[in-house]
Amino acid sequence: MAQNSNILLQVEEMKTVFKTRTGNLEAVDGVSFSISKGETVAIVGESGSGKSVSALSILRLLDSNGEVISGKILFNNLNLKDLSNDEIRKIRGNEIAMIFQDPMTCLDPVYTIGDQIIETIKIHEDLSKNELRERALELLKLVGLPDPESRIDAFPHQLSGGQRQRVMIAIALACRPNLIIADEPTTALDVTVQAQIMQLLKDLQAQFGTAIILVTHDLGVVAEMADKVVVVYAGQVVEQSDVKDLFNKPVHPYTEALLKSIPKIDTNKNRRLLTIKGNVPSLKEIPSGCRFHPRCPLATEKCRSEEPPLFKADNDRVSKCWIADPDLQEEWENPILIDEKEADFEINEHLVSKNMLLEVKDLKKHFPITKGILSRTVGHVKAVDGVSLNINKGEVLGLVGESGCGKSTVGRLITGLIDSTNGEVSFDGKQLSNVNRKDKKGIRKRIQFVFQDPYSSLNPRMTILDIIGEPLEVHHLAKGTTKRQRVGELLEIVGLSKEDMHKFPHQFSGGQRQRIGIARALATEPDLLICDEAVSALDVSVQAQILNLLKDLQLQLGLSYLFISHDLNVVKYISDRIAVMYLGEIVEVTDSDTLFKDPLHPYAKALISAVPVPNPNIEPERMILSGEVPSPSNPPSGCKFHTRCPFAMDICKQDKPQLRAISEDHIVSCHLYGEERGHG
Amino acid sequence: MAEYIVRRLIFGIFVLFIMTTFIFIIMRAVPGDVVTLQLANSGATAEQMDALKAEMGLDKSVLGQLVDWVSNAVKGDLGNSLWSGQEVSKIILERLPVTIQLAIMSIVLAIIIGIPIGVISAVKQNTFIDHFLKVISIGGLSIPNFWLGLIMLTVLSLVLNWIPPLGYQSFAENPFVNIQQMFLPAICLAITLSASIVRMTRSAVLEVLHSEFIRTVRAKGAKEGIVIFKHALRNSLVSVITLIGLQIGYLLGGTVVLESIFALPGLGSLIFESVLVRDYPIVQSTVLVFGAMFLLVNLIVDVMYGWVDPRIRTK
Repeated sequence: MAQNSNILLQVEEMKTVFKTRTGNLEAVDGVSFSISKGETVAIVGESGSGKSVSALSILRLLDSNGEVISGKILFNNLNLKDLSNDEIRKIRGNEIAMIFQDPMTCLDPVYTIGDQIIETIKIHEDLSKNELRERALELLKLVGLPDPESRIDAFPHQLSGGQRQRVMIAIALACRPNLIIADEPTTALDVTVQAQIMQLLKDLQAQFGTAIILVTHDLGVVAEMADKVVVVYAGQVVEQSDVKDLFNKPVHPYTEALLKSIPKIDTNKNRRLLTIKGNVPSLKEIPSGCRFHPRCPLATEKCRSEEPPLFKADNDRVSKCWIADPDLQEEWENPILIDEKEADFEINEHLVSKNMLLEVKDLKKHFPITKGILSRTVGHVKAVDGVSLNINKGEVLGLVGESGCGKSTVGRLITGLIDSTNGEVSFDGKQLSNVNRKDKKGIRKRIQFVFQDPYSSLNPRMTILDIIGEPLEVHHLAKGTTKRQRVGELLEIVGLSKEDMHKFPHQFSGGQRQRIGIARALATEPDLLICDEAVSALDVSVQAQILNLLKDLQLQLGLSYLFISHDLNVVKYISDRIAVMYLGEIVEVTDSDTLFKDPLHPYAKALISAVPVPNPNIEPERMILSGEVPSPSNPPSGCKFHTRCPFAMDICKQDKPQLRAISEDHIVSCHLYGEERGHG
Repeated sequence: MAEYIVRRLIFGIFVLFIMTTFIFIIMRAVPGDVVTLQLANSGATAEQMDALKAEMGLDKSVLGQLVDWVSNAVKGDLGNSLWSGQEVSKIILERLPVTIQLAIMSIVLAIIIGIPIGVISAVKQNTFIDHFLKVISIGGLSIPNFWLGLIMLTVLSLVLNWIPPLGYQSFAENPFVNIQQMFLPAICLAITLSASIVRMTRSAVLEVLHSEFIRTVRAKGAKEGIVIFKHALRNSLVSVITLIGLQIGYLLGGTVVLESIFALPGLGSLIFESVLVRDYPIVQSTVLVFGAMFLLVNLIVDVMYGWVDPRIRTK
């Protein structure tokens, strides 16, 4: 290594184990990497890969049963692994600071944010009370918290998620550390806020030359932030490289598969996503040889038996795969991971007829805010405030927006899980409010729900047979042997086996559970599935499997979906049309290609531009919105978006724009697009 | 906040009314009354006894008596003792400070014993110390406090040849004697309460120690002392305070027996004596005072939530 003098932190062969009753779990098994001053190194991996544990191991912040048992963590010629507790405390927060994932739970709720920033400075520096407060104020200004003088005495719950993450960053910067370890710093945030925080981190890095270790699963964030990337799989580094090399020409099959399995804005919707078969291995059953071999399409006998070493290549690249062996005589083809014949989806014939399946008119849901002895209603949270949309037979309508915009509530209203305040839902030509109870149950049967979290949406005490069979019994569709037969069929449709029906949910992985959730939804032979963040809780490699499955089902069964998600790439890939929601209202609806190519509403533009692009070769042009979503209990007058809109005019503050058709199949509510564009 | 307190007070009055009615009926369902008990062996004739009952208003129907009692109580007249003829409110005011002092001493002692032990158990989770403290605290929970009081008295008098000084003296009169007299019953009451405080503190601190903001504090380089006392304990206080509020009921119940054992002239021993002689007005009024104390403490607890946890403050 030539630039040895610049190296700030060097991790060598670090091994971390967790002691449990059933034995030791090796969460990190010989991870090595280094980071230089002012550099950003990303540690990327799926859940359970050991990326977070690696980050926590550096400062020895693991839970009490976890320990770094071997290897070196060299920081300024000190081996952090061997320091006493008092010595490492002097480094924590002072020379190396951390930022954690969830700003909602990472700040102590009972102290003001000022106190929490001051606490860090107080631990490491001896300053007077006034100086401490000055410093805290300065830090809050630095991280761009609006109105710091009054906010310094606010409690965490009085701030929004993005503001809290700014406070976390202020705490991390308090003692001007040389290195910040950021563990999924933007994962819990909305895209528009994520863009703000990424920009802030970049600016601060440019200003202070702080090095950042970025732990993330999001390849888009990696491409935009990182200089160097370390890919981890099952506790080991599998590839390490400069960010551009990694994205342009990955060497390890896992990296390549990971890059290809995520839907991107330019992904062809008609092509099947590349998937990685199987699941991330559990730490209890680590495969022999190369840990990736059971999922690798290129695995050979050698991969099964022998663990590959880390092969070094040009440009400091490292790959833990036999392909990279320089002594190897055979030429390896660049791995082809997809069968070309099956690559394309068939044309969706169900779409041709254009029959309206679901029509929603002026749907409203206002939750009352009550106060006082008699619980008087003093206001309303306007979660959904006049939403109209329609879905044709066989069509997928995507519904996107930031958290709190009411998109999930729309899904719940359509299925009748909650009652609407106002509005009309018609399904297959029948108005839901007009039909009798029996017919309503019949309609319910035809609209089913797929939930976000596959871990909590299946009753852990019921077998798969009972879980999938329950809707069959509720709707008197099948019983006894017929039920068993039907459940078996359903399991096969979603790619599981008949034999699985007697198992319990905990015996399945996250992806398999989501398949079970889909099988349950399909049990009543519905026409419409409401998928509320149905792939958000899954790992990227598993997400691709589920997306392919949903597309297959759409084609085979002629299903329609209302696909609710915050992940625009996923929505773009799966949807035929997309509706954009802001504060309980729909601001733009059009087909998905047009929306991404030519978004009209400024909010849609900002939302789309905020999505991190997993391509380090391009610097995306970004329209960063200021501030965050206003409260739906007190929405702004006129156009609800005018407080954050860079194009806001006087008229936007007073007059609420109506949704109007700009062209066929493209409607938008914005004063910028008045009559001219409509006529022209 | 003020509105909330008013609402709680209105609700409290309602609860007290139901409680008095209940006690009123139960007391009269118990066979024997004050006149019979007083004059049973005096040779008084049945006519004389009836006349006395009529004088005390005991000849009316239960409902009629209830109406009398409530209408007087609302005016602030709690009636006179059927036994001594003294004003009930006077007797209660005389004895109330003893019980309040005993209750406060027990709570303070219980907190002093319970919270540190709870914190130690949490920090030393699943070690020998934790298991040892668990056995002790479960023991403390299971031992009835009157038994503990009797054992303590017996052991102290046999081994140390010491008994608390006789003849109650208030703290103002003679603090030294007063503390000697109060300490033992306070300890007996505190041990049961502290045992539950230990269990609650342990589980609450453990839960907080696993939350993410604790990791943030550690990542700042804070010493374990700051992590545990400034952050973990402070965040656990809501559940500990709730527990203390609920346990006040048991504590007040315990004073009845312990004040009798230790011959303290408090409300507890008053209610004990009055039940034996069916002194209805005293029993009813004392129960009313006990009930009001319980409600008041829990109101204070609820107000304290806001002081402990700013998230509750703003709601």
